[in-house]
Amino acid sequence: MIPHDLLTMASTKAAEYLIAVAFLLLFIPFWRFLNAERVPGRVPTAEAPGWIGRMVDWFLVPDGIYFHPGHAWAMVGEGGLVTVGMDDFAHKLVGRVSAIRLPQVGSRVGQGETGWNLVRDSKSVDMLSPVDGTVVAVNDAVSTSPELVNRDPYGEEWLLKVRADRLPANVKHLLSGAPARRWMEGVCEDLRALMSPDLGRVYQDGGLPVDGMARALDPARWDAVARMFFLT
Amino acid sequence: MGLSLGEYLRGLLTPFNAAAGLILLAGFPAIGYRFARGLGAVTNLSQTNPWGLWIGLDVLCGVALAAGGYTLASTVYLFGLKQYYPVLRPAILTGFLGYFFVVVGLLVDLGQPWRIAYPVLYSYGVTSVMFLVAWHVFLYLTVQLLEFCPAIFEWLGWRNARRWAARLTVGATVFGVILSTLHQSALGALFLMAPARLHPLWYSPFIPIYFFVSSVIAGLSMVIVESTLSHRIFRDQVDPRRHLDLDAITFGLGKAAAVTLFTYFFLKLLGVADGGHWDLLNTPLGRWFLVESIGFVLLPSFLFAHGVRERNGRLVRAAAAVSVLGIVLNRLNVSLIAFNWDVPDRYVPSGIEVLTSLTIITLGLLTFRWVVNRMPVLREHPEYREVP
Repeated sequence: MIPHDLLTMASTKAAEYLIAVAFLLLFIPFWRFLNAERVPGRVPTAEAPGWIGRMVDWFLVPDGIYFHPGHAWAMVGEGGLVTVGMDDFAHKLVGRVSAIRLPQVGSRVGQGETGWNLVRDSKSVDMLSPVDGTVVAVNDAVSTSPELVNRDPYGEEWLLKVRADRLPANVKHLLSGAPARRWMEGVCEDLRALMSPDLGRVYQDGGLPVDGMARALDPARWDAVARMFFLT
Repeated sequence: MGLSLGEYLRGLLTPFNAAAGLILLAGFPAIGYRFARGLGAVTNLSQTNPWGLWIGLDVLCGVALAAGGYTLASTVYLFGLKQYYPVLRPAILTGFLGYFFVVVGLLVDLGQPWRIAYPVLYSYGVTSVMFLVAWHVFLYLTVQLLEFCPAIFEWLGWRNARRWAARLTVGATVFGVILSTLHQSALGALFLMAPARLHPLWYSPFIPIYFFVSSVIAGLSMVIVESTLSHRIFRDQVDPRRHLDLDAITFGLGKAAAVTLFTYFFLKLLGVADGGHWDLLNTPLGRWFLVESIGFVLLPSFLFAHGVRERNGRLVRAAAAVSVLGIVLNRLNVSLIAFNWDVPDRYVPSGIEVLTSLTIITLGLLTFRWVVNRMPVLREHPEYREVP
């Protein structure tokens, strides 16, 4: 038992205060370490062989790319520069479009807010940006010749380059790797649930999805179908 | 199900079922023997060591590891973090079954199970911490059953009862959090009555706080461990979209566990400073204390932090397993290893005590499997989608 004289108590209390101060001081770097989540660096380009075989049903879901549930993707490059596009599913859902309206260079986009707009048959559908940041480049080849889109969704058909300023926070709401493939499995389930027997041999019977699945599902209200999947 | 009886029985012959069957085959007669012949015939307990493995493992560890129920329920219903909802029901089930089998363990230890209602109905020993623990466990078990009732009613198809049970959920959660806070710490408070018996490095006036804080760690870690195992073992039960949530949920829980473990380590240091027992750290039990505090508190804290930072799910899950082992080690240290540390008559559990504990744990696992295979725990009931 410790004698509770003043000196003993003072040294005990001093040790306790020191521990409390040490905790507070050490907690700062610990918290910073914990929150400085690393974001994978540059990932393989479209030509990399790893992309083959990353199919979920009929849709390509490559590793190393972050997917937004609204079917946009983000690929992290050097210095926080993020390449953004629409995923293989989105391409196949909407099919050939007559115009893609991209934001202007220098404008800001926000995660989960409208990033760009697809036009077909005088109807338009918004898509959501997967990250926050400033647009530093747009793909003119895609915006001027949208009819050519549908060949390389994760490569040449990128839409924006964004200087992302909240990337670690943004990627928490994005999916990659196995979780992304499981998410796409769920999307495919939802797609199957929408299909009716009179649609013909497109998917449930083992057929390839048609180009422009939304129009095949509901020619009059294809934009509503697309919005449902794009969360807009 | 289209299987012949022979095919069905052959399907039951899995390594887990075989091991569980053997344990139960040996364990039930052992428990029967305990009730027939008394504690003295089957345990190594004595007047010096009145609490043994059944209290240390079945009760203290069982209650701590069942803390996932209140931790997750308060996360989802009180803090409003709905993204953790997919792992809430299995956590509540784990909590409920954990407590239920704690009571079973207590009945085996106390004997005379027909008198279990005494502290609640007839005999109010209001000056006893045991009375407090009895009431807490009784009330909290009832609350956890209430919290799990929506799943039972969905399974039975009782829509009206389900609706009423769902309405009671938030109230039950608030009550449950109060009870858990009180009784997790009350279990620690039991040891305040034995300051001379517990080794000074483990004894501290803060021990109720240690028990409460470490129960939060146990709850968070157990949810990670349990959800990982459930999503593998009961893969066919899990909606593919639920797999999607698991990694994000694991990282969130891992982050909370990292911070709690880090804080808990410094709280333990405060306890050592408060007692002025720095010199005891350089003794055999002192080194064992350092193994517990550094190897099973500080190390998993950094493993969690590193795993979350690198988005490495495997590392976070490994940290959770280390952390769970650490909580078990702490409870066994407090109740067995560092308890009566200086008496010549050291307690070592008998074979029947070990077998009985194994039997109770096996019964818990089998009950969990039985419930998960029938009730909407890992999957959503199709008629109640999106209904919290």
